[in-house]
Amino acid sequence: MVLSVLLFIILIPIGWTLLTSLKSLKEAFQTPPTYFPDKLTLEAYRKVLTETPVPRYVLNSLIYALATAAFVLSAGTFAAYGLSKYPYRGSNTILISFLVTRILPPLSLLLPFYMIFRYFGMIDTKISVIVFTIYLSYPLAVWILKSFFDTYPTDLMEAGLIDGCSRIGVLFRIVLPGVASGIAAVAIITFLWTWQEFLAPYLFLNSDLHKPITVGVYYFVGDELTYWNTISAAAMLASVPGILFFLIAQKYIVKGLTSGGVKE
Amino acid sequence: MEIINGFRFKHSYPVRGLFMRVSNSKFGMMLSLPGAFVLFLWVVVPLGILVVTSFLRYDNIHPVVFGGLKNYEYVFNHRIFWLSFKNTVIFCAGVTSLSLVVSLVLAHSLSRINRFASIFRSLSMFPWAVPMVVSGFMWAQMFNPSFGVINDFLLRTGIISKPMDIFGNPALAMIGVIFADAWTRIPFMTIIILAGLESIDPSLYEAARVDGADSIQIFRRISLPLNKKAIMTGVIITTIFSFRTIDTIFSMTFGGPAKGTYTFGFYILDNIYRFFNFGVAGAMSIILLILLLIIGSVFIYQTLRIEER
Repeated sequence: MVLSVLLFIILIPIGWTLLTSLKSLKEAFQTPPTYFPDKLTLEAYRKVLTETPVPRYVLNSLIYALATAAFVLSAGTFAAYGLSKYPYRGSNTILISFLVTRILPPLSLLLPFYMIFRYFGMIDTKISVIVFTIYLSYPLAVWILKSFFDTYPTDLMEAGLIDGCSRIGVLFRIVLPGVASGIAAVAIITFLWTWQEFLAPYLFLNSDLHKPITVGVYYFVGDELTYWNTISAAAMLASVPGILFFLIAQKYIVKGLTSGGVKE
Repeated sequence: MEIINGFRFKHSYPVRGLFMRVSNSKFGMMLSLPGAFVLFLWVVVPLGILVVTSFLRYDNIHPVVFGGLKNYEYVFNHRIFWLSFKNTVIFCAGVTSLSLVVSLVLAHSLSRINRFASIFRSLSMFPWAVPMVVSGFMWAQMFNPSFGVINDFLLRTGIISKPMDIFGNPALAMIGVIFADAWTRIPFMTIIILAGLESIDPSLYEAARVDGADSIQIFRRISLPLNKKAIMTGVIITTIFSFRTIDTIFSMTFGGPAKGTYTFGFYILDNIYRFFNFGVAGAMSIILLILLLIIGSVFIYQTLRIEER
């Protein structure tokens, strides 16, 4: 009972935005507001998808999120595996530096990254955003991956070694399939973080060509008028991947986040 | 049993493959040093540049020269810095306490249901799925004085007599952005608290119920004290993150009105983007970083202690 009421209140902002996105522009500005649209219309979505650069923004967001996830996973998996299963002198220090990096505020590193990109003429390129979002998620991704590898039983690795598998073979044939759900969780978390990032692309990009959807929402903020129905439609599009992931893989994401996780 | 570099193997066996002559610890280095190098390149290098910049007179007008502590002096003597400091603390305290209260109730109710538990959990995660900038837009729309749902609801129920314009009043605007930001942080805090709750031995609850304790007593005597660590973790992480993110404020009020929601982030951003004073922005970034390291060291200490066990 308490739960239903609380959840209802928590979901109001999303629900209200969904309803507004189904209103006509006139109705979205009506005082007092209608709670349920008098006339349901997909006009806002049609407009957003055909008359504005939003499809390109969404595509850009996808590129950023996939590129970051791919890089973070391919660099991070080996590092996390080595740190977890084959410790060496100094590996603990490296591990702690991953943890410390996590509490460095990205806001503080905006300036040096901005200066680096300006120096190399990388302002207003896709690479600049990807470089920054890698910084955002890499340390934590390694930390979460490591905690997944930690829980993987060494007995099974050993069985593989005895049966004549090489150590790399053990990683690819035995361990990785075993922690697949953990790796998927890290991939999703990295994807969502990058998808949701706003300040870095806002600062590094100028042209519409490279903007992700989070920055692209500003397309609808005019000097005098903010187009609330279309902005709501764009807002819903920006939230769809996250909502889908939580519907499909909530259990794994939560496991990943609680095993070592921090959300930005 | 054979122990190679702290890694326990019950049997000795022939190591095969391309790197067969490499010892286990060397193998670990080969695997993880490239990844560690990425961390170095991505974090240590920018950090070094930041530290150096903060000691330079770097305003993109005059030639760059060493300025010592001038930038820090400037920041600490700047009225706007102290204003943004005050705003950041209020914002951070507001967001953390609001999301703590909601998350406690939410986590406790989520832990009690059995039917449709997975659906309810998914639903409670939804605010996390919304990008924070978008959350700012959502709440700005709901708080709108003429067509927002919040004003309309409060007017209809008679709680207020005329529409309130939170975007014209600094104090109200602060409350508004606290709501918008806390909303996005509730899911994370909830899953941390929920994970902690689930590790409490259920027989304790049964024993308490047999002894006739009501839910509030159970909450105060069992759930709260036994879950202190998870709650602390949630609080610290939320504090750190609300301290350093401005996305929701950015899209909701942009630091206004009358700088009523102007936090640290805006101070840094203004110095990079509007005044091009990189030296001051650098000093400010370092100050933010040190403040967060102090808060964060508590968190790191706790995490490492949990890891050790």
